[in-house]
Amino acid sequence: MEWLIFFILGAWALLSALGAVFVKSPVHSILFFLSTVLATAGLFLSLGAELIAGLQLIIYAVAIIVFYVLVITTIPWEKVKRFEGFYKKELAVGLPIILLVFILMGSFIVRGNLAQPLPEKLDSVRDVGKTLFTSYLFPFEVASVILLVAMIGAIILGRKEE
Amino acid sequence: MIPIEKAYILLSIALFLVGLLGVIIRKNLITMLVSTEIMLNGVNLALVTVDRYLGKVDGQIFTLFVLTVAAAEVAVGLGLVVSIFRLKGYEGSSETVHLRD
Repeated sequence: MEWLIFFILGAWALLSALGAVFVKSPVHSILFFLSTVLATAGLFLSLGAELIAGLQLIIYAVAIIVFYVLVITTIPWEKVKRFEGFYKKELAVGLPIILLVFILMGSFIVRGNLAQPLPEKLDSVRDVGKTLFTSYLFPFEVASVILLVAMIGAIILGRKEE
Repeated sequence: MIPIEKAYILLSIALFLVGLLGVIIRKNLITMLVSTEIMLNGVNLALVTVDRYLGKVDGQIFTLFVLTVAAAEVAVGLGLVVSIFRLKGYEGSSETVHLRD
């Protein structure tokens, strides 16, 4: 059963990621990326990370995708037409290297040993919250500062030049 | 038969490499940003997989931080794309070469 879910969702995620990379129009690429995000949220659910699956849906599938589509609507479309698609020469060089790296890393993963698991299993959402607000309290605050700086930077970058 | 965690890690490596290929070959700056998001998704999948195998929650917390950084990156990156377009009038990755000369 677990393998069945893995194969369906994994094939979905991989095919839509390939579609997002290889399809011509930017809007279609963003919609394929939305499909990848949905499949990845399903994989997170099947791995037992309910909080991450929900946040993936809220942050990626709602906030980031809508932001991309809004930005595309602000750009005049006929000038973007020149830059659709992908470079043929870079594809011919890049694809064998990517395949070679995947075969190398995959053979290492398949032949190697994973670390020894702990005996006890933690309850997901409650322990994520407990660990986040005790051991990882300082990185959590730093993340809020990063968001503030990104907001100020986006406002300054998006301002009209006088 | 390999354990299912190894299969998940193989899938996350494949997602990461597909995103890397997209960053290399795409012409449009916006689709290059979309490809970096695919790479971040692959990393998140690997973190959550190892997390479930070890029975801990630290990987999920790092996934939260990766989501935060992804949101910040999208805001600043798309602001940069829009301002490049407004100043120069194009958004192809082959013409954004001001740092080269």
